[in-house]
Amino acid sequence: MCFSTKPSQIYIDPTKSNMVDVLLSDAEKTFIIHGIQDNLRDDGRGCEDYRHMEIETDVVSSTSGSAKVRLANTEILVGVKAELGEPSPGKPDKGRLEFFVDCSANATPEFEGRGGEDLALEISNMLARAYDCPSCLDLGKLCVVKGQQCWVLYVDILLLECGGNLFDAASVAVKAAIHNTCIPAVTVSKDEGHVDIELSDDPFDVHHLDVTSAPCIVTLSKIGHSHVVDASQKEEACCLARLMMGVTEKGTVTALKKEGSGSLDPSSVEEMMETGKRVGQALNKSLKEVLCQEEQKGKKKEQTGFLR
Amino acid sequence: MADDFKAARPLEYYRKFLEKDVRPDGRELGEFRPTILNIGCISTAEGSALVKLGNTTVMCGIKAELATPKTEEPSNGYLVPNVELSPLCSPMFRPGPPGEQAQVLSHFVNEVLDRSGCIRKEDLCIQTEKLVWVLYCDILCLDYDGNVADACILSLLAALKSTRLPAVKYNEETEKPETDSAKLEPLHILSNPVSSTFAIFDDRLMFVDPTVKEESLTTGTVTIVTNDNDLCIVQKPGGSPLTADQINTCFERAFSRSKEVLRLIDETLHSIER
Amino acid sequence: MPTDSRRIAGPESSTNPYNFCSEKPRHELLQNGKRQDGRKENNIRPIFLKAGVVSQARGSAYIEQNETKAICAVYGPREVIRKEDFSMKGLLTCEFRFATFSCRERRQHQQDVEEKDYSVQLLEALEPAICLDKFPKAQVNIYVTVLQNDGSALAAAITCASVALADSGIEMYDMVAGSSVRVAGKSLLMDPSYQEEYKPEEDTGLTNSGSVTVGLMPSLQQVSAITSKGEIEFELVKQAVAKCVEVCTQLYPVLQQALVRSVSEKEDEDG
Repeated sequence: MCFSTKPSQIYIDPTKSNMVDVLLSDAEKTFIIHGIQDNLRDDGRGCEDYRHMEIETDVVSSTSGSAKVRLANTEILVGVKAELGEPSPGKPDKGRLEFFVDCSANATPEFEGRGGEDLALEISNMLARAYDCPSCLDLGKLCVVKGQQCWVLYVDILLLECGGNLFDAASVAVKAAIHNTCIPAVTVSKDEGHVDIELSDDPFDVHHLDVTSAPCIVTLSKIGHSHVVDASQKEEACCLARLMMGVTEKGTVTALKKEGSGSLDPSSVEEMMETGKRVGQALNKSLKEVLCQEEQKGKKKEQTGFLR
Repeated sequence: MADDFKAARPLEYYRKFLEKDVRPDGRELGEFRPTILNIGCISTAEGSALVKLGNTTVMCGIKAELATPKTEEPSNGYLVPNVELSPLCSPMFRPGPPGEQAQVLSHFVNEVLDRSGCIRKEDLCIQTEKLVWVLYCDILCLDYDGNVADACILSLLAALKSTRLPAVKYNEETEKPETDSAKLEPLHILSNPVSSTFAIFDDRLMFVDPTVKEESLTTGTVTIVTNDNDLCIVQKPGGSPLTADQINTCFERAFSRSKEVLRLIDETLHSIER
Repeated sequence: MPTDSRRIAGPESSTNPYNFCSEKPRHELLQNGKRQDGRKENNIRPIFLKAGVVSQARGSAYIEQNETKAICAVYGPREVIRKEDFSMKGLLTCEFRFATFSCRERRQHQQDVEEKDYSVQLLEALEPAICLDKFPKAQVNIYVTVLQNDGSALAAAITCASVALADSGIEMYDMVAGSSVRVAGKSLLMDPSYQEEYKPEEDTGLTNSGSVTVGLMPSLQQVSAITSKGEIEFELVKQAVAKCVEVCTQLYPVLQQALVRSVSEKEDEDG
């Protein structure tokens, strides 16, 4: 048998730069696909294993909350800024959550100029959808004066390096950053219809949001006849259809999305969802443990690595 | 054979027909395409109408909202007409902000609304200086097969006639409006502007209601807007010069078209009410 | 809001008059097993589907599901204007729009986030069904406008656009039928109307509240699109997807009929 060694052409499609492409020959693709059929991936993992993940919270002091996640080569920094603003007319007694994704050209040259815009929009839309249900984050706590003032959490997601599986990594980083977010205490006083809002002087007089039921996104990539979680960049190049799920700790689904140019048959959709639920619950659980540890370490912890 | 001739020498092809006072689609020179009107088809809009002029399809939807009036005109409401030539209706248009043609059409429609005085802006006032109606008249082209201007004006008039506004009162104490959605009131339409477009062919021949194919071959156009028995606007943006006789024929045809169109609107409105 | 010199401007801000109505009682989604419009949980609304409605387009279709109305036109394959890299595969673009008067709240002329999101979802639903390798270096443009939105707009758009594509004669592996379901508590309401649709701002107090939309290629039995909103229990998501797949399969003859009718009409015209 003989494979052509010429790398197969990678087409950069301007409407769909949802994944960052790598050059891969047909032979390499076949190798990866065959491996996955036997539950063996090119980096030695099983089909349901994540790569090594490092989470660090409270990394940017100028934000209300921040987190940095490193998933193998993927590196994402999330900063949350809490600001006072007006609630949306549809939800007068709730705070707001705004996602913004910035694809830095440092991550890959393809993001230069407006190259990363579509991907950024897709990530922020998916996160917004996953968080857009009343039960996953108690936004009622962010209300200051009903219908007039509330806390707006601006969640800025910065892609520092792309090594595959951006959606999952971003969702983990977002959850960690929101967990880390300190919302200053305010006192509201009313006199003659005039509302005064006073910010507490004590910088430690803050409250936190409960992220227990917030979702994580799990991306399942269909490769050959099986599917894998946490696809690396090489594996993403072999994959035509992905299913993304927002999964909470309870195993409920907050968002679903099929992505990519391929299609799936209904039975494999079901299998993929089963895996997604299982993996997602486990991911949420271990994330919770890590976040607890981080919290206990508090300010004393040793800062590692990041720009130091 | 005829198809080849049509494709290779469209002008010659048309000339052969026009010599016999007939057009390739079988119409006489003064004949409009069959006009179909559907009123009140969109229930999310306060007023709506769909117009088909042959293949040309235009939909007008009127959304009414509340706003504070301008300080210079404290008792005038707003009329905001906009024509959208979406990329859906023809390969000529691409997504993005409105092109030149769409802007010209929007201004034309605005002009017609203004000059004809078919709606008094004072009638849209709820409380002077505080609250007035805004009528967003969005005209969406769904199929661009020529003579969109006439279709736009017709759809706008029909949509305005079908518009029903809920009763709104201004509460002086709370300084907030109060809406009674059970009570719906029609608009006062004071006059009926109707537009007719004529194409000039080979600098001398004239025919009415050009298709997109015909528009590409013409040497000029004239648009005449009548307002019941008066003349409202005549637009002749350059092109071939015309004799006085020709202009007069256009006027006559425009007034007779106006009667046809108004009868159509009345009949359609009646059929809905029943 | 940035001023738009290309359009005729209205006042700076205006509000919907119906926001000032006295409060209306909220309707229950289900009463004695019946929905507000008298349908049962499983019933979908009657569908009117017609191909070949826009004379200027290569292919087009119009769909009506009671009060949900959408029109779609397909242009191309035509030249790519912004010359990107050489591509063996054709380029597909989708633009999904709501007409300004299509919803209860007036929509703006500029494409908003929701419309962009729907455009991407529509693109991903249709892409697997089209033989993109048949027109290298060229593009096919799909434009969908929702004229009136009474729920399930994306599902209707998917169905409509796939018929328009087939009508245009562009080679396809299969058509795509779309359907959606509202999950509320334990009940699954097929083909929800605007009132029944899931709205995140409406706190229903149900732990299970959301919606699922599926695009299916019926003869290949392949799912080409799947999206959901709101928090739903896992078992119910599975049920919802299965229900949607079932409904999409049932829709197939409707799509076929619309195509056959348009083809025979074209033949009549040609003599």
